[in-house]
Amino acid sequence: MKERIKNSSGKTRLSMLVMGAGQLAYGRIGKGLLFLLAEISILYYFISRGFGDIKGFFTLGEQKGDAWLGIQGDNSVVMLLMGIFAWIVVAALICLYRWNVKDACHMQELQQQGKPLPTFRQELSNLVDKKFYVTVLVLPVIGVCVFNILPIIFMILIAFTNYGGNIVPPELVDWVGLQNFSKLLTLSQFAPTFFKILGWNLLWAVLSTALNYFAGLGLALLLEKECVKGKAFWRAFPVLAYAIPGFITLLAFKFMFSYGGPINQLITASGGTAIGFLDLDAKWTARIIGLLVNCWISVPSIMLLATGILSNRDTSLYEAAKIDGAGRWKQFQKLTLPFVLFSTMPVLISQFIGNFNNFGIFYFLRGGLYLDGYFLASDTDLLINWLYNLSIDNNYYCIGAAISLVIFIITSVISLIVYVKSPSYREEDTFQ
Amino acid sequence: MDTTVTYILLIIVAFIFFFPCLWLILASFSKSGTIYSFDGFFPKEYSFASFEKLFTDTSLYNYPQWFFNTLFVAAGSCVLGTFLTILTAYTMSRFEFKARKPIMKTTMVLGMFPSFMGMIAVYLLMTQFNLINHLWGLILIYSAGAPMGYLTQKGFFDTIPKAIDEAARIDGATNLQVFTKINLPLSKPMIVYTALTSFTWPWSDFILPKLLLKEKNLYTVAVGLMSLDETEFARFAAGSVFIAVPIVILYFCLVKNMVNGMAAGAVKG
Repeated sequence: MKERIKNSSGKTRLSMLVMGAGQLAYGRIGKGLLFLLAEISILYYFISRGFGDIKGFFTLGEQKGDAWLGIQGDNSVVMLLMGIFAWIVVAALICLYRWNVKDACHMQELQQQGKPLPTFRQELSNLVDKKFYVTVLVLPVIGVCVFNILPIIFMILIAFTNYGGNIVPPELVDWVGLQNFSKLLTLSQFAPTFFKILGWNLLWAVLSTALNYFAGLGLALLLEKECVKGKAFWRAFPVLAYAIPGFITLLAFKFMFSYGGPINQLITASGGTAIGFLDLDAKWTARIIGLLVNCWISVPSIMLLATGILSNRDTSLYEAAKIDGAGRWKQFQKLTLPFVLFSTMPVLISQFIGNFNNFGIFYFLRGGLYLDGYFLASDTDLLINWLYNLSIDNNYYCIGAAISLVIFIITSVISLIVYVKSPSYREEDTFQ
Repeated sequence: MDTTVTYILLIIVAFIFFFPCLWLILASFSKSGTIYSFDGFFPKEYSFASFEKLFTDTSLYNYPQWFFNTLFVAAGSCVLGTFLTILTAYTMSRFEFKARKPIMKTTMVLGMFPSFMGMIAVYLLMTQFNLINHLWGLILIYSAGAPMGYLTQKGFFDTIPKAIDEAARIDGATNLQVFTKINLPLSKPMIVYTALTSFTWPWSDFILPKLLLKEKNLYTVAVGLMSLDETEFARFAAGSVFIAVPIVILYFCLVKNMVNGMAAGAVKG
C-alpha cells in the first residue's frame, strides 16, 4: 500500500484529497460522482450533528431538563446511542476513504499497463459475479450490526456508567469507570448475593451438563443395542419430549409440583401433608427438581446427537477388543467414551454455556421470588435470572450490564480453557 | 437376561418421557377447569369444554388472536431468516475473501455474550424510540439475528463438491447463476431444515415477546399462556396441546428429512 501511494500519479493523488476526484479525472464519471456524493453527505452529517454527537458521547449531556422552567434537557441514553452511531459513521468513512484511494491506485496501474479501465456497467455486473459475496453479505451484516453488535456495545458501555435506579432520563447519566464492578464485588448490597449466586451457578452448570450428557449418551447406547427391536418406536418418546416447546414443559412441571398438583394430591390422599416443592424454604428440593426437569428437556437432543455420532463408529475396533478379551465396561471406557468425547467437545462446551445461562428453568419454576439474604433474587436463581430481575424488573441497568460482562468473561474463559485442553484441539487427527 | 433388563429400562424411559405429555393431553380434555378437581393425575370427567372455551371465551384471554400473532411472527421470521441464513452460509462456505476469517471470529465472540444482554439493550432502545408493541419489530429482530447461526448450513454447503461450480464457471456462468441454478436446488433439505428451525424458534420463544409486547391483544401464545391464572389449568393444557401438536408433527417430519438430506449428501459426495 505504502509503495503504491509513493508511486501514485497526480490523478491518483487527487483522490486522496477529495474522494472521487481521481476517478473523475480518469474519466469514470459514475463512480467518481458516487464517491463524491458519499463524501459530501458524510461531511454534511458531521457538520449538522455528527460532531455534536461525538461530544455528547463523552459528556453524556450537560443540560438537565426542567419542566418548570420549560428547558428541554439532554437525554443521556439517546446521546450515548447517537454517539456510538457517530463512531460507526467515522469507521465507515475511513473504510470508504481507503477503498477510494485503492481504487484510484488500481486504475493508475491498469492505465500504466495499457489495459482498458472497467466501465461503470462492468463494475455493476461484477456485483453479481466476482464480487457476489459483497452483494450477498450486505444485508446480513447490516442486520447483525444493528440488532446484535450495536446493542452489545451499548450494553458494554452502560456497564461503565451510572445509568439505572433513580438515574434515568431526564436525570443526567455519567461515566463512572469501574465503579459498578467494584460495587458488585465489595458493596454489602450486592457482593454477598453475587458470590452466593455465582457459586450455585457454577455448581448448576457442571452438574446439569454432566447429568444431561451421560444420560443422553447412555440412552443412545441403550437404543443402539442389537437386542432392541423397533428402535424407531422407542426413539419416538424422547423425540416427542424434544419437540414440545420448552415453556410448555416448564409450566406443566410447575403445575405438577404445585400445592394443588397431582403429586401433592397423591401425598395427601395417602395421609401425608402437602409438600411445597418449590416453596420459599425449599432450597434443595427446588434445585433438584430443576436439575431433573432440565434433564427431561435436554437429554433427547443429546441422545439424537450421540446416536448420529455412534453410527460412525469403527466397528472393527470393537471386534478386535472383544478378541483381546476386553469386557463391555472396558470397551466403553477405552473406545466409546474417547471417541464420543472427541466428536462432541464443541457441543459439550455449548451445552455448558447454555446451562450456565439457562434462564428458563428457574424463571418458570420459581420466578419472581425474592428471598432474605439475597438482593432481589432467590436461592435457585442463576446469574442470568438475577440479571433479569435487576435490569428488567427493577431498573438497575448499570449493575445488570456489569453482571452480563462478568458472565461473558466467565463463559469465554471456561470455553477457551476447555477447548484448548480438549483432545479435539490437541490431537486433531486421532480419529480422522 | 440382558435383553429383559434392556427392555425394562426402555419401558421406564418411555414412561418418563411420555407420562407428562399424556397427563397434559388428558388434562386438556377435562370437564372442570381447575387442577384441584382432578383425581390424582387424571381428570374425573372428560369433555371438549376447554377447547371450546379457548376459542369462544375471548374476553379475558384472546387465544385465537394470540395464535395468529404467533403465526404471523413465526412465518415472517421464517421467510426472512431462512433467506439471510442460507445466503450467509453459502458465501462463507464458497468464497475466499479478506473479511471472511474476521467475520467468523466475530460471530464466535458475539455468541459468547449472554443472548439476554443484547435483548436488554434492544428493549432499552425500543422503549427510547417507542417501538414497543409492534409485531414486525419482533420479526425484524428474529430474522436479523438468524444469520448468526449459519454454521450448520455452512457445514452442509462444504459437503457439496466444488467441482460442479468450477465446471459451470468455465462454461461462463456468473456466481449468481452458480448459486441459483446449481447449489440452491441441491440444498433443498437444508433449506427445509433451516426454515423449520427458524419457524419453531419464534413459535416457542417467550423472553423477547414478553419484553416487547405489553398489550394483551398483541401477545404471542407463549406470553399469553404464561399470563393465565393458576386456576385455569385445563385452559392452559388445551392451549398448549393446540400449539404443541403442529410443532411435534413438524419435528417428526424434520427427523426424517434430516436423515434423507444427509444420506443424499453422502451419495453425491
